[in-house]
Amino acid sequence: MRNLVRSEGYARARLVTGALFACLGAAVIVRTFGATGLSAQAIPALVLGLAMILLGGFRFRDYVMAKRSRP
Amino acid sequence: MATADVVRKPVEEPSLRRSVTPWGSFSWGYSDVGADIFVGLGLVLGAAAGASNVAFLFAGIVYVCIGLAYTELAAAYPVAGGGQYFVFRGLGDIFGFIAGWAVLLDFTIDIVLFAWSCIDYLSKLVPILSFVDHPWVHFIVVFAVIAGLALLNIIGVRESSAFNEFVSGLDVVSETLILFFGFLFAFQPQLLIHTMTFAWPTTFNLMNGVSLAIISFVGLESISQAAQETQRPASVIPRTSISLILTILIFALAYSNLALGMQPWHAIPPDAHGHAQPLWKYLGNENNNGAAVAVLASYVPYFGTLAAYYVPVLGAILLLISSNSGVFGSSRIAYAMSGTQLLPSIFQRVSKRYRTPVVSIMTFCGFAIVELIFASLPSLSPAVRYTYRHLFRGEDGITFLGDLYAFGAAASYSFVFIALIALRLNDSQSPRRFKMPFNIPFTFKGNRVEFPVVAVIGFFGIVSILVFTMITHEIGRVAGPLWILFGLIGYLVYRKRKRLPVFKSQPHDWRKAQINILQEAGELEMMDEYLVNVKRIDATKRAAAAETIR
Repeated sequence: MRNLVRSEGYARARLVTGALFACLGAAVIVRTFGATGLSAQAIPALVLGLAMILLGGFRFRDYVMAKRSRP
Repeated sequence: MATADVVRKPVEEPSLRRSVTPWGSFSWGYSDVGADIFVGLGLVLGAAAGASNVAFLFAGIVYVCIGLAYTELAAAYPVAGGGQYFVFRGLGDIFGFIAGWAVLLDFTIDIVLFAWSCIDYLSKLVPILSFVDHPWVHFIVVFAVIAGLALLNIIGVRESSAFNEFVSGLDVVSETLILFFGFLFAFQPQLLIHTMTFAWPTTFNLMNGVSLAIISFVGLESISQAAQETQRPASVIPRTSISLILTILIFALAYSNLALGMQPWHAIPPDAHGHAQPLWKYLGNENNNGAAVAVLASYVPYFGTLAAYYVPVLGAILLLISSNSGVFGSSRIAYAMSGTQLLPSIFQRVSKRYRTPVVSIMTFCGFAIVELIFASLPSLSPAVRYTYRHLFRGEDGITFLGDLYAFGAAASYSFVFIALIALRLNDSQSPRRFKMPFNIPFTFKGNRVEFPVVAVIGFFGIVSILVFTMITHEIGRVAGPLWILFGLIGYLVYRKRKRLPVFKSQPHDWRKAQINILQEAGELEMMDEYLVNVKRIDATKRAAAAETIR
């Protein structure tokens, strides 16, 4: 398990899922915004979309940091 | 103070091995907090109906503040004990006891609630375990699970870290797949807005929903637990914690939005009166609220066919791990509190044969069994059901457990925020590799300190949740404060008999303690920084004293 976590494949897999989360977040925001506009009831869905994009961003940052730290 | 002597002094007490990796640290927290949504979703849908996502959003914002506070404190003071230790250190003995006692309430509830929900999830595959149809079978099996976990902990068997990591990894993948399929193929924003508009709850029910939603975010003690057993925790903990906080928040928000705005893949059975019912209502009813994630997953297009079979099993395993962490956590916190003379020394008594804290395990599993009986009674006996209906608005067993869980969490987290502010002001010399964002710098007692604005926001958020719990939960408002009162009386009697200060704190050498903590954690740079800060502050104080004399 430890070797798997340290491998580059694991970092890439996290990057891919992070990218998927970010895409899904963007889709949630666009679809919700398209259906309702900027209404109070859309806020929870919009926050969800933003959090997904943020998670994608964090995973991208982690990947870059992991790549830099490798010799 | 001879700090150099302290540094050289070898550590005599046996300590935990620091072998947890960043992923191990994440999965440790995830198996604790991640399981909460399996319990919380159905309860919140049952209470807050069309505003369930708002309830999760409110509780989620407070949770982010709590998570940031724990991350800062666990990175600065990487010792097991979590909220209890931070409050003990920041606010003194009596508040440390109250916070620890509230955490112990949560751990005992944790044991029952998760064992209960574990069987609820399994009942989706094995119908004879259903609480609604076979309450006696359900009660006996949950009882057996708790007794079995107590026995395993007395013998000293814990699930291995690798197993924990494997289950957490599997669950993250599984939940992600459920959300992907759900949002891609069945989520309809129009339906979400429609549900929110036409099923908006009363203010009372919304408050009830918010107070129950916080239970989806309980278990952050595991962050500090992991900090004790992680190498270089000051750099690892902030990284894994932020990822953990975001992941848990996303799952909670995503499930609630999906439940309110998803077009089910196949027809939902009609209610007891033969009327068609929406998905959120079906998930929140008494039959399904204990296993809502598994039921929701089975209605997700395509993937639901497979999910209907494995999600109940995966959920049950995760919940069992969480229940076990309640047994383990309660005994460890009681053991630690006993070591600092907040609880009688009997809680430190270790079995000669197995070398485990047998009295602590038996005591808190005993409390858990009492809570189980109290939660199950209305379903086991019609006479008791009648009494409950009159006294407690007929709350069902799992809601009763949720009430107390919310109370314990809100009470202990409130103290953690105050402790964080106190430690920022009084322990500015401890290096903090991670700080909560948005701070106001100012001078306090001659030292430059930073006032944490987010801690104040979080404090008001969690106090409002505590107030919501007291307003909306008939049992929680009585049983929660009674637990604290009962503990406080015991504490006062114990301290008086031992001739220890009752309302004041015993003298503690926090400098020596901090140096030992950082040395054990392998954070030698931080330790050097700490020693420099201590010398600087001492020099400033001496100069100020000399100035006063002159």
